Amino acid sequence: MGVGSAVMYVVSPILESIAPYVPGEVFPHFFSGLFQNALVASILVTVVAGFLGSFLLVRNLSLIGDGLAHVSFGGICVGLVMGSSSPLWFALVFSTIAAILIFEMQRNEILTGDASIAIFLTGMLAFGLVVLRLWGGGITIDVEGYLFGSVLLIDEQDLDLIVIISVFSISSLSFLQNGLLATTIDPLAAQVQGLPARGLGLFFSITTAAVVVSMVQVVGTLLVTALLVTPAATAQLVGRSFRACLIWTQFFGLTSVILGLYLSSEMETGSGSMIAVVAATIFGTVGLYQTLLVPLFYPRGN
Amino acid sequence: MPEQYSEETILSVRNLSVTRSGEEVLERISIDIRRGEFVGLVGPNGSGKTTLLLAILGVLKPLKGDISVFGHAPGSKHNLGMVGWVPQAATQLPNNIHITVGELIKLGTLNQENYLWGVMSQMMKDRVDMALEMVGLTEMANVDVSRLSGGQLQRAVIGRALASESEFILFDEPLVGVDRASRNSLLRLLDDLCHNHGKTILIVSHDLTAVTQATHRIIYLEGGIQYDGPTEGLPDLSELANLRGIKHVHAGQEGTLNAESNHEGGK
Repeated sequence: MGVGSAVMYVVSPILESIAPYVPGEVFPHFFSGLFQNALVASILVTVVAGFLGSFLLVRNLSLIGDGLAHVSFGGICVGLVMGSSSPLWFALVFSTIAAILIFEMQRNEILTGDASIAIFLTGMLAFGLVVLRLWGGGITIDVEGYLFGSVLLIDEQDLDLIVIISVFSISSLSFLQNGLLATTIDPLAAQVQGLPARGLGLFFSITTAAVVVSMVQVVGTLLVTALLVTPAATAQLVGRSFRACLIWTQFFGLTSVILGLYLSSEMETGSGSMIAVVAATIFGTVGLYQTLLVPLFYPRGN
Repeated sequence: MPEQYSEETILSVRNLSVTRSGEEVLERISIDIRRGEFVGLVGPNGSGKTTLLLAILGVLKPLKGDISVFGHAPGSKHNLGMVGWVPQAATQLPNNIHITVGELIKLGTLNQENYLWGVMSQMMKDRVDMALEMVGLTEMANVDVSRLSGGQLQRAVIGRALASESEFILFDEPLVGVDRASRNSLLRLLDDLCHNHGKTILIVSHDLTAVTQATHRIIYLEGGIQYDGPTEGLPDLSELANLRGIKHVHAGQEGTLNAESNHEGGK
């Protein structure tokens, strides 16, 4: 029994008990039986992505998730062509290597800012497409699921990968959160205090690579940023301390995912795109409220 | 120099040369700082003030020469945490983050042993409280730093350095973006840290008036050390200009030091 099944063994009865109260025609299936894997995977991935996203945002690395997701797609294509039953492991290797290279290139100032991300993003996406075209044969159908997400098709094996990555990321991020925050805010001061700024940065990049891969099936490589950055960015609009922002991020992230899954299942749209739309809408609503209504009633912004 | 300083030399720089982007910014510099001193490091843009600080911190490796901080090479594990760093708060802190004064100062308590895991020990909490009190921000511990004035923000960053319990604190342009009234109270704070809390301070600033008002000793850097001695003995700036043969060195209206020099580039 894999870790995924172990988690389901515990969570499944709880979801079953909630199922009768869940609205909609299709949505209750996420709680009872059929699509339970999808719901559990989505929630796990959202919690981890939100936690990670708060740090990404402060480090001005919002786009790295997008870059690494495209790199993952290259890895998936190679995995598919090689006939692997779980090409996400290939994605994990590709994305981790890219994350390390991007980190080192930025640190050594070989390329500044987002340029290195842009090169990896397009290079590896294109590489994947070329590989598929040359040796892919008829497997182009599978590819769409990885581009836009295929949450309903998450099986036990996929869930294993997602649970492993999520548990690893959430525990290491909580373990390192003070050090990460210190190096994020002032790398020099952190280094002077004796924190291993380089090691922490590298570890953070690798964790990001892994989390991105775990998100591919839920939202798809094209939409990873929707769960990684949007909830954290919305939280920045309302939070007044780092801790508060972390909590708001979870609130906005989980709302986006649950509402997105509900709407997509009832309206029969793709889940990934609906989650992304909901997340962006929440950001827009909160942003409008903060910029238009709050100054209107509290002119000094207090 | 007054005799209250201990004889213990905590910083010793010998014949230091440092290059940045291939250009020699510092050339054969030698400085000694003893415990309890309050030293101002002044000089025009590009004279290598910040470069010197970064070399002392061990961030920039010297091309030639030696630096010894508390008897060991910079960044060695023997003096880790004994040196504090206070950057110019207004430009060095990311402005896209919400973090409270307390959260910021708490980061100062981290070191190589305790940075793992998110739980603070009672000792760390005490140090945060102490630092808050020393910089006068106890009441504002839960305020988002983005709501602070320039002077308060700089105090918060000083608090972070104090929370690390460092004995030798380096300040890089701490008066930039701080209004005149807060500037004086910041200088009083530094004076207090030096006299009543035994901190040794090296401050880099453009603001010559402020630095001469607060420090005991001035090091004037411009293509090498032009002056190193008691603040009272600092020659008139125009004299220094003649000495160096540079075009303009003048004290601006607020005593800001401006000079046209050949050393463009590095701060």
